Amino acid sequence: MELTDADLVARVLLDDDQHAFGELVRRHQSSVRGLLRQLTRTDLALADDLAQEAFIRAYKNIRSFRGEARFSTWLYRIAYNCFREDARKRKELVGVDEAQLQAEHDPQTVDAGLRHDLMQALSLLPLHERTAVVLCCQKGLSHDEAARVLDIPLGTVKTNVLRGREKLKRTLAAWGPN
Amino acid sequence: MIDDETLDRQLCEAMPYIDDEGFTARVMARLPAARREPRWLRAMILLGLTLLGSAVAYLVSGGGRFVREGVIQLSDFPIWLLLVFAFGCGLVVGAFAVIVAVRKTPEVRDVARLRF
Repeated sequence: MELTDADLVARVLLDDDQHAFGELVRRHQSSVRGLLRQLTRTDLALADDLAQEAFIRAYKNIRSFRGEARFSTWLYRIAYNCFREDARKRKELVGVDEAQLQAEHDPQTVDAGLRHDLMQALSLLPLHERTAVVLCCQKGLSHDEAARVLDIPLGTVKTNVLRGREKLKRTLAAWGPN
Repeated sequence: MIDDETLDRQLCEAMPYIDDEGFTARVMARLPAARREPRWLRAMILLGLTLLGSAVAYLVSGGGRFVREGVIQLSDFPIWLLLVFAFGCGLVVGAFAVIVAVRKTPEVRDVARLRF
């Protein structure tokens, strides 16, 4: 019978079982790296570095995991904090206004493919909207879980998801039904 | 405008599975060394200390005389009183165990908080 995340965490807590932690890393590496790739605008090297840092920080602070939320939610919070600290250092915490969003969407220059356009549009969203959309619409977190990851009010998460989705739909309007 | 269903589908599909390709190994290599001793060693230490403590108590109490005297005194009590006392001790220990178990189980703890 496969061990649950809670079982593995218990083994790490009780026995400092690094094999158990390795299994947790294997299970969640794809989703954490995927989240960070979205946040770093597909800078793969940076995303993987941050993901490594996130898992190491999770190991060192495993005692602070109280089991009230899913382990993945707790991991996402750590990963998001790693990203924010790195971005603060790189001073990339800037938003993108509507004009810039429109200006960069030139149908004549972007490659064909809805997927590609979607990734482009997602990368152009302001950080707070991009993160909310990624967590709720791609990672499948509830608004409540996303609020815990981002440490912001529930209403703000809902607003950010709504606005982010509206912007994506407007940007991808060319792919809609005629 | 693109519809919600198409947007949701595209968002989900835009997040494919990322192969490990040594990522986990790199993380494990950077973990700090495990500090805890093995479980069996902790058990041996606990057992050893228990035996040592028992031996000290036996010697200090004059060869366990207090145990014999305690048993003699207990045998003077009525059987029903001894049973009630034993049952009461069992209830107290059981109650503590339930409280600790509830506090460590998130699902039960949330239900308990709602109902009480």
